[in-house]
Amino acid sequence: MTKFLMGRTVGLLVCTHCRATVRAVPSAQALCPRCGARVHERRPHSLSVTAALVLSAAVLYIPANLLPVMHMHTFFSEEDDTIMSGVLSLIQEGSWPLALLVFVASIVVPMLKLIAMGWLLISVARQSRGHALQKARLFRLVEFVGRWSMLDVYAIALLVSLVQIRSLATIQVGLGALAFGAVVVLTMLAAQSFDERLLWDTHSDG
Amino acid sequence: MLIVCHACDLVHRRDAIMDKARVRCVRCRAELYRTNSASIDTAIALAVTASVLLLLSNVYPLVALQLNGSIRATTLVGAAIGLYNQGYAPVAALVLVTTLLVPLFQISGMLYVLIPLRANRRAPGQNELFRALTHLRPWAMSEVFMLGALVALVKLAALAEVIPGVSLFSYGALMLTLSALTSVTPTEQFWRWVDGGGR
Repeated sequence: MTKFLMGRTVGLLVCTHCRATVRAVPSAQALCPRCGARVHERRPHSLSVTAALVLSAAVLYIPANLLPVMHMHTFFSEEDDTIMSGVLSLIQEGSWPLALLVFVASIVVPMLKLIAMGWLLISVARQSRGHALQKARLFRLVEFVGRWSMLDVYAIALLVSLVQIRSLATIQVGLGALAFGAVVVLTMLAAQSFDERLLWDTHSDG
Repeated sequence: MLIVCHACDLVHRRDAIMDKARVRCVRCRAELYRTNSASIDTAIALAVTASVLLLLSNVYPLVALQLNGSIRATTLVGAAIGLYNQGYAPVAALVLVTTLLVPLFQISGMLYVLIPLRANRRAPGQNELFRALTHLRPWAMSEVFMLGALVALVKLAALAEVIPGVSLFSYGALMLTLSALTSVTPTEQFWRWVDGGGR
C-alpha cells in the first residue's frame, strides 16, 4: 500500500476557511496569513461538541415524530397531523410522488443523519480503522441532504398563514413543529462542527 | 507548491493542470480546487440579478387561497408572521432567516466584497465577511422552500382554489440564480480572486 503523508506529520496546516497552506508554529495560536482566521491542526473539541448536538437532536426526534405538527379545524372536522400522518394523507389524495418526497425529507433523512453521525462519532472515538473513504462519503451525504428536512417546516408555515378563514377552516401549529425544527437545526450544526479529518487520523495507511 | 487537503489532511504537490477540471484529493476525493475559474463579472451579474428577484419575491404575494368567495393571500414574510402570531417565534425566526435573511446577507455581502475587488480594492472587513458567507452557505434554503411550497399547495388544492402569485415565480428564479452564484464562487475561487486582485 502507498504511504500517505499527512499535513500534521510534516508541520503543515490547512486553513479551513480559505484553504491556504500554513506552516505550523509550535505553541502559538496560528493565524492564517491570507484570511486572518485561526488555524487549528484539528478543530478543538470537535468530537464532544458534535456528540452533544447529535444527542440533543436524538432526544428531540421523539417528540418531533409523536407530537402533532399542526391542528386543522374545519366546519366538518377536527384533526391532528403528525409528520407521518401528513405523509399518509398525501398518499390518500393520490399524490404519491410528493408523499415519497416528504417521507424521505422528513422521516428518512433525520433518522439517517442521527444514525450516521452516531456511527461516525463512535468509530472516531474508538479509533477504529478501515472504511475511511466510505465514512467520509457518508458524512458528505449527511452534510448535503441535511437541509432538505426543512421542507415540512416551510409547508406548515404556508398552511398556517393561508388557512385562517374563521368559521370555515383554520390551521394551528403544533408543538411537534418546534421539536422538528430544532432537530433539523441541531443536526445541521452537528455536521458543521464535525472535523472530517478525524476520520482519517487512525487510517491504516497513515 | 504544497497544498493540504482540508478534508483528510493529506499533503499534495500542486501541478499545473491545463484542462478544465475539478481537482480532487487522491485519498478522500474531496474537491480541492477547480481550474475552470469563472470571471468575477459573472458573479457580480448573478448577485445583481438575485437582488432584483429577492425584491420582487417580497413585494408580491406568494399564493392566494380562494374559499367561498373570500380570498386570503400570503407573502414570504407573511408565512413567518403566521407562525409568530401563534406563539411559535423560534420556528418563525428559522423560516425568516433561512428563506430571506441569509439570502439577503449573501447577495449584499457578495456585492459589497466583489465590486471593490473587481477594481483591485479591498472592502473593509472583506475577509471576515467572506468567512461568514462561507459558513452561512448551508443555511440559505430557497430550493427547499420551493419544494415545501409545492407540498403546501397540493394539500391546499384539496381544500380550496389556489392562485399562485408573482412571488412564487420570482422566488423560483431566485433559487436558480442563487445556486448559480454559489457554484461560480466556491471558497477556493474567491480567495484566488483576492490573491489575483480580482482576476
